[in-house]
Amino acid sequence: MRELIGNMLMVVALVFIFSGVFGLFKFKDFYPRILISSKVDTVGLITLMLGIIVKSGLNFFSLKVLIVMVLFVITNPLSTHSIARSAYNSGYKIKKEKSEKL
Amino acid sequence: MKFENIVLMILAILGIASLVRAVLGPTVWDRILGLNLLSSKIVMAIVVFAFLVNKSYLLDIAIIYALFGFVGIVMISRFVEKRGEL
Repeated sequence: MRELIGNMLMVVALVFIFSGVFGLFKFKDFYPRILISSKVDTVGLITLMLGIIVKSGLNFFSLKVLIVMVLFVITNPLSTHSIARSAYNSGYKIKKEKSEKL
Repeated sequence: MKFENIVLMILAILGIASLVRAVLGPTVWDRILGLNLLSSKIVMAIVVFAFLVNKSYLLDIAIIYALFGFVGIVMISRFVEKRGEL
């Protein structure tokens, strides 16, 4: 029963990560790309680590996986903010969408 | 073939797909974004592999990789922002 719940959580995590990579190719501008891919990627990592913790049970291994998860949740939004801040301060303009012309 | 092997294969395919965006991105920041996504995919793959072979010391490599990836991405973006000066 515990393995079944863990496998289902890992499949949900793979769906999240795939939608993040799919959004990386769908949008034409830089800011929608960085918005979609970074958010969905963090959610995918949290769900994958939760699936591994559920499959492994409470022991020394799952405690270290929890440490990796907390560290990644802190550092990934910071690096994404750093990239977006670099693009904005360098003068990268947002392109006008087609709906404004109509 | 266990279930974790299939997860590792799909993670490898997604990592290659995010590396394609880093190769053909139009601007510099698209390339940095592709490298950031590849780094997170590698951290996930290391954790799944450590669960597959049931060795606990492989998770230390994941912690070190996440920290060095964070410092590297912040330093590259500051380098681009300051136009050549750190």
